[in-house]
Amino acid sequence: MRLQGWGTGLTLLAVWLLLIAATGLYRPDFLSHQTVLAVSFTMSIVGVMAIGQGLVAISGGFLDLSQPAALIASSLVAVRLSEAGLPFAVVILGAVLTGMAWGFANAVIIVGAKLNPVIVTLATNFIGLAALYFAFQLAEVPLGSAIHQFGRAKLFGLPAIWWPMLALVLVVGFLIPRTRYGRRAIAVGGNRMAARARGISLKATRFAIFTAAGGFVGFAGVLFCATSGPFNPSSANALQLNVIAGVILAGISLSGGRGNFWLLLLSVGFLSTIPTALVFFGLSSDTQSIFQGLILISAVAFDGYRARRGTP
Amino acid sequence: MTDATAPRNAPAPYIVPHRPWRDLLTGPVASIAFTVIVVVAVGLIWIGPRFLAFGNVGIMGAFLIVPLVVGACAGFALLSGVVDLSIGSMVGFSSALFALLLTLAWNPWAAAAVTLAACLGFGAINAIAIVGFGAEAIAATLGMLVALRGITWVLLGPQGAIFSFHPGLSDLVNQTLFGLPLFFLVAIGFTVIAAIVVARTRFGRHVQAVGGDDKAAARAGIPVKRIRVAALLLSAFGAGLGGIVFTAQLGSAARATGFGLEFQVYAALMIGGYSILRGGVGNPIGGALGLLAVAGVSNILDLKAVSPYYVNIIVGLLLLAAVLLDRMRGGDAYE
Repeated sequence: MRLQGWGTGLTLLAVWLLLIAATGLYRPDFLSHQTVLAVSFTMSIVGVMAIGQGLVAISGGFLDLSQPAALIASSLVAVRLSEAGLPFAVVILGAVLTGMAWGFANAVIIVGAKLNPVIVTLATNFIGLAALYFAFQLAEVPLGSAIHQFGRAKLFGLPAIWWPMLALVLVVGFLIPRTRYGRRAIAVGGNRMAARARGISLKATRFAIFTAAGGFVGFAGVLFCATSGPFNPSSANALQLNVIAGVILAGISLSGGRGNFWLLLLSVGFLSTIPTALVFFGLSSDTQSIFQGLILISAVAFDGYRARRGTP
Repeated sequence: MTDATAPRNAPAPYIVPHRPWRDLLTGPVASIAFTVIVVVAVGLIWIGPRFLAFGNVGIMGAFLIVPLVVGACAGFALLSGVVDLSIGSMVGFSSALFALLLTLAWNPWAAAAVTLAACLGFGAINAIAIVGFGAEAIAATLGMLVALRGITWVLLGPQGAIFSFHPGLSDLVNQTLFGLPLFFLVAIGFTVIAAIVVARTRFGRHVQAVGGDDKAAARAGIPVKRIRVAALLLSAFGAGLGGIVFTAQLGSAARATGFGLEFQVYAALMIGGYSILRGGVGNPIGGALGLLAVAGVSNILDLKAVSPYYVNIIVGLLLLAAVLLDRMRGGDAYE
């Protein structure tokens, strides 16, 4: 039980190393510190968002499609707070609370009206992005502020924003299978009727999961506005697919109840290496979507095949 | 043998009474029909008779051709219980490939045939992953969405657009009949044919049965896999057709072509009574009315020079209302 998903992990690691080795053989200058910087930079924001998406998926909530709007809302709050000259800790707190409030609002609709999260979050993303366009057109963290410096800082040779992502993935991955709350979330995702029969409140679990997932997106919003230049409400739309692909590749089942969050490091790392590797192969950056899409299809097809074989 | 031993005096099966007029008021199309009437009423009151003038309806119609065709075909996939998220990218891909072949001086018919064949090929990949391997439909077609977008961008090259103006095609697509775009009327005819296929043919009933309960359908001898493959291929075919019409209309293909179309179409289809979570509900007429309602709302806001962002807010709220209604009508409650 504790070794759950290590087959997936080894496969991911092997594919990732294969990609690195192939690119390194073709272009030895790929194996440089610059590449490590580029990959870890891309990993950071997607990784933190993937934790939130993974929490929703593992507890049987399928997908949170409103992550782009939640991320931008949190980033906007972070920008406004740092423009007001507030300390960095307050800026982070404000963004995280914004994300949590967003997730809570999703949960109110999902639990209150008993509607499917995929559609609810699709609708709140529509509404949220449109509302954000009324709030602002273009925003940017003030130059020289603490958050701006944080986005450009390095720590032990890696971007400073990479370390919080690593810490969060490790902590969440450690806590989920080992705490009562984490196991409840998995139980609800695996079989909600059985979970309810054992006295787990489905409503409380949904509220907790969506609020927590929103909090992770809120923190990703801090990383996003710290590193991106001026952004508009649509700037985060492209992240969504990478996040979902990362969650699926990590073997966190979209139908719930199964998954290991530590594997997010491998899946997100692998996905973040693809764009850089393709550039070294001399392929245009447009081709990266082709590879990411085909990898996603193969991964879900393999996942479906395994599930079908496992349950005759 | 079991049939022979069954009791002879078993009660006659309950036959659902067929009341077309009552169904019109209470059936799945009723709520969307009311929504369309409300939209038209708001338009007439707020904008005046100009809202229903041929010129204005023609403008709406020209925008609706592609969504109507794409929606009518994608509806079959929804009905059979699989959602195909790749339709938006498929429209973009088809538009780009068709434009590219036109610039290579291909005959438009040959170009259209090759484009449709390519779309069916990608639809077949979807079908193999979902039906053959049992992949999650949302995730697999999301992958196809990303992959096709990449292929489209590669086809379009560094410029990000292909200009393929073809005078004959443009004249053909922009013809009008009774003051309305000819192809809008064709698209409506297409929708009606789709509705007849769903309601009156064996294939349509099989699709509904598979979407309603695939295990029961399999026991009843319906080839579940084959029906789902056909529905996914049809969905890809409709998107391919939509892309070809797009290129013919605009005389070009661009990166933005078809971008996000899947969400607009599915939002409208769900407002129109389809469900992306369970198959077997909804029909093409309701879906078309859903597209009309959304187009009407954006047209009203456009004529009133209201910010277009309100459209998305209204679409989002309508979507939530539609799924709530679907749940009250017997859709699964999510807990």
